[in-house]
Amino acid sequence: MKRILIASLIIVSLSLSSAFAAPRLTIDEDAFNFGYVPQNSKISHVFWLKSTGDDTLKILKVVPG
Amino acid sequence: MLAVGDSTKLEIIFSTKKYKNRVSKRPRIQTNSGLPNKTVQIISHVVARPDSTYPVIIKPYKLNLSQFTEKVRDEINFNITNVSEKDLEIRLIAGLPEYFEVSLPKSIGAGKTAEGTLKLKKNHLKNSFDKSFTFELNDEKTSRFTVPVKRTVRTVAKPKSKTAAIKSKGK
Repeated sequence: MKRILIASLIIVSLSLSSAFAAPRLTIDEDAFNFGYVPQNSKISHVFWLKSTGDDTLKILKVVPG
Repeated sequence: MLAVGDSTKLEIIFSTKKYKNRVSKRPRIQTNSGLPNKTVQIISHVVARPDSTYPVIIKPYKLNLSQFTEKVRDEINFNITNVSEKDLEIRLIAGLPEYFEVSLPKSIGAGKTAEGTLKLKKNHLKNSFDKSFTFELNDEKTSRFTVPVKRTVRTVAKPKSKTAAIKSKGK
């Protein structure tokens, strides 16, 4: 009886943890200052995006600001 | 899709067009997290007269490594002139080492000019791109300068020699 109770508790806790599993995006460096740049040119910077949640992160869209 | 613990790059390309002075952009990143969108921010100071910046002037202020013939163009030199009255130290703070290597002078004396070099990596010689690198000075404002790097590759295949054309006609 005790074993069944423990097993069912484990199952419940596992299903609860998967129900609350959430993806999370972390950006360590989220701002960059280019300083002086000339007009009529293209410049670029690379940001690192990290998945730090406990479920797969999907990047759906990047909307220009 | 990013598995838990994985990372990916997000490259933000900013076209400075006819902007002037301080420009800030905040692209939004939409994810499946259910949380409010995260943003990244880029800040720049767009100058209409890049030949009269302070405390340094970069010549040329845009590095064009475009290639329209078979002759490989993989290196370009540029000058940095210190127009201030103090010696300045230079530090590269952002570049793209997978695309190019930037060599900068460590310091430039007041009123002096020093040379820098940008050399493309072999694996990107066939690619066209618009990238940039950023350096910082140790003046009071810790001024930063970003130098655009442009490469367009358009090589025309050599036409067959006349004799080769005649031979192939005769066959």
